[in-house]
Amino acid sequence: MTLPSDNKPAPDALKTQGMPQWAEQLIGQAIAVGISIIGGAVIILLVGESPLHVFATLLRGAFGSWERTAGSLLQATPIIIAGVAACVALRGGLFNIGVEGQLYMGGFAAAWVGFSFALPAGLHVLVAMAAAIVAGALWIALPAFFRARFGTNEVVSTILSNYVAVLITSYLTISVFKRPGGWSETEPIAPTAYLPQISDVSRLNIGLFIGIALAIGLHLFLTRTSAGYSVSAMGTNVKFAEYGGVSIRRNILVILLCSGAVGGLAGGVETLGVHHRFMEGFAPGFGFDGVIAALLANGSPIGVIGTALFFGALRAGSLLMEVETNASREVITVFQAFIILCVSAQILIRRRRDSTQGERRWKF
Amino acid sequence: MTFAIEMTGVTKRFGAVVANRNVSFGVRQGEIHALVGENGAGKTTLMNVLFGLVQPDEGTIRINGQTVVMDSPRRAIALGLGMVHQHFKLVPSLTVAENIFLGMEIVRGGLIDRKAQSEKTRQISAEFGLKVDPDRRVSELSVGIEQRVEILKVLARGAKIVILDEPTAVLTPQESRELFRILRRFADAGMTVIFISHHLSEVMEVSDTVTVLRDGAVVGTRPTRELNEDELVRMMVGRNVNFDRRPRKAISGRTVIELKEICARDARGVLALRDVNLTVRSGEIVGIVGVDGNGQTELAEVIAGLRAPSHGEIAVNGITIAESHPRAMREAGLAHVPADRLARGVDASASISANILMGRQYAQPWAGRGLIRWGRVREFARGLIKRFDIRARNEKTLVKTLSGGNMQKVVVAREFSRETPFLLVDQPTRGVDIGAMERIHDEIMLKRDQGAAILLISVQIDEVLALADRILVMFAGRISGEVDPEKTTEDEIGLLMAGGAERPRAAA
Ligand SMILES: Nc1ncnc2c1ncn2[C@@H]1O[C@H](COP(=O)(O)OP(=O)(O)OP(=O)(O)O)[C@@H](O)[C@H]1O
Ligand SMILES: [Mg+2]
Repeated sequence: MTLPSDNKPAPDALKTQGMPQWAEQLIGQAIAVGISIIGGAVIILLVGESPLHVFATLLRGAFGSWERTAGSLLQATPIIIAGVAACVALRGGLFNIGVEGQLYMGGFAAAWVGFSFALPAGLHVLVAMAAAIVAGALWIALPAFFRARFGTNEVVSTILSNYVAVLITSYLTISVFKRPGGWSETEPIAPTAYLPQISDVSRLNIGLFIGIALAIGLHLFLTRTSAGYSVSAMGTNVKFAEYGGVSIRRNILVILLCSGAVGGLAGGVETLGVHHRFMEGFAPGFGFDGVIAALLANGSPIGVIGTALFFGALRAGSLLMEVETNASREVITVFQAFIILCVSAQILIRRRRDSTQGERRWKF
Repeated sequence: MTFAIEMTGVTKRFGAVVANRNVSFGVRQGEIHALVGENGAGKTTLMNVLFGLVQPDEGTIRINGQTVVMDSPRRAIALGLGMVHQHFKLVPSLTVAENIFLGMEIVRGGLIDRKAQSEKTRQISAEFGLKVDPDRRVSELSVGIEQRVEILKVLARGAKIVILDEPTAVLTPQESRELFRILRRFADAGMTVIFISHHLSEVMEVSDTVTVLRDGAVVGTRPTRELNEDELVRMMVGRNVNFDRRPRKAISGRTVIELKEICARDARGVLALRDVNLTVRSGEIVGIVGVDGNGQTELAEVIAGLRAPSHGEIAVNGITIAESHPRAMREAGLAHVPADRLARGVDASASISANILMGRQYAQPWAGRGLIRWGRVREFARGLIKRFDIRARNEKTLVKTLSGGNMQKVVVAREFSRETPFLLVDQPTRGVDIGAMERIHDEIMLKRDQGAAILLISVQIDEVLALADRILVMFAGRISGEVDPEKTTEDEIGLLMAGGAERPRAAA
């Protein structure tokens, strides 16, 4: 991971003349994916499989039928929401690497409301989602406070909070709320707390629309609103924002809390829409994927829809790939690692180039 | 005489903008060659091409008669070139000495010999008459001192051909004079110097040859002694320009801002302001002069709310400001042109309109009900582009693609278009051409006549002399004297700047 101040996500909100840069970035991402495909192919060759066969299976697994496409979308849903969570922080010049933890806390809180209370349909699911949001925000509250008050690096504190969240929810599931006779999972939630499904062929639910709506909402917030303008300015030049009268400390707190809240919602949507209970390890890596999706999209919430769909398809496709080929799911992990490397390299190159154009100072 | 540098037919386009148009430019070995032109004329671009930072679309470069492909600054450095950039390229987290020796560290036993580097830095600093503290972090320095470091860095490398892009924009006249004395010495010893400046008196005084650029093309290259300032201006702007000193009409009213016994520490915790008392009344311009590093930066920061005073209080319109924060000061009615435009004054990656919006994003008519009315913002920005003659294609142009002087105009335009009772202007004309300087001076006078209280901080003493109603001199963190601009001379001010009764240390 790069240093916090290293990565200055592109300020779409402040960039009215964005087309060429926008296109340039898209080309950059395409190159990143291309290199990753080649890297992945080499790995597949090393494990003695035909890359073509593996990629074809991956593709078929992701989009081979309506059910499979729905499966990809289902996998993409929490990544989109988690990605938006990461974008909120990124665009304010902050890093929330703790989305995974917020997602776990949110998922648990939503499930708890779902199985502990009896509420009318409609209201129940709303309350459960609210609980997820609050849990996510609470989970980042401490790192957020320390960052705002004392300038403590939020990267470290949010990463650490991930482990605690996974372990706490695990403990609560196994020791406090374990379903008698069940696996390490809680009671199922009441059907009144289910998120409505989109169709019966898969568990794809309106969480997908929530994610897309959040992404569009964030985009509009950043480009159209006064507060969004202040946040964007913090993300691109915090000294400028401070000089212009933006309350940096207060905004840091609010931005991180919002980021955490959205992260919590990602977990809530997953439990209320898919699992209908809280299970230990119910969402492995969705939060991290969201962070990477956000970085890959260079902080653009609209871009996150695309990158998250890509990651969702990879996850869904890898299931079939594992069944039908000798390549294991780890190939996908390697593949993603390649993408991260390429993206980081791009950021470095771009920074270097900018700094040689005599327009930007070194930023460390 | 041989040409140290010959650029032939250089053309550089940025999209639809032609920054350099078939430029042919020759510099003789051992001469001091001035490159002048309005903001956006293409001076920096041409020098960036020469230094390998920017690749030209057409044209060739010859160094000492050899055709070279300047594909990187590394190549330029290898060929004996050195460049002082308009926007500094120092590493803020490193010390002055570390910056100067970056890439050519003094190594002993496999480790960087910090002490030797500091010692050497002190030496060259004394040799070149540019005072710096080798062990301070660059992030703690004021722009004037950063400029010194940037110059020292290039001189220390022993370049044979030195390019200085507006080296004197934030230097005091004494410092500039000293710098040029050294450059002359070097030129006499065979070094070739190219410098860019908007101070024409300086150009007339120190250069051997002048090349004028206009709209990206060369208007002419002439020996300096065949020119006078008026001709130079005519070549630059294509018409006659009249400058006249405006009448002073000091009718100052009530006190707008008052500093009482302000003390403040600098970034290292050293006391940088000592018991500063200061008032600025409505309808008056108070000028602050001093050698950079004597507390002006901290004074500006305290007034802007960017640095909390360790003692004393600030009152605006008689009301004491409780919390030291830019927002509090803005709400109390402050407009502020900061000394370092790129670090603080702009969001370089954003458009001109987005930059103009800063500080207005919650205010009518640019915003309403939480939403920004981009249409109005753009329209407003278009008006300012016209009024301040910002050379840009339109209001959507990204600030980072503007020339240095035009960036400055964006900052000035934003701050001067506020209806505020109090302006803090720190190096307001840094890097702008003479036309723009006049315009900015007019705006300052206009603000004053409208009853604003203006605090003007500038290293350009003539600017302060021309504009201010009262001049305060800062030395060692104190206001060491007050002079009447009608009755004082640059020499008297210079003496006060150097510590009053002490022996004048013009070079310091
Ligand atoms: N990276 C870029 N992208 C687009 N346009 C650019 C870029 N760099 C410079 N320009 C344009 O090229 C023109 C020349 O700019 P340049 O910086 O060379 O001017 P200058 O003569 O140095 O002006 P100043 O005195 O203000 O520093 C300007 O119109 C500027 O907007
Ligand atoms: Mg320039």
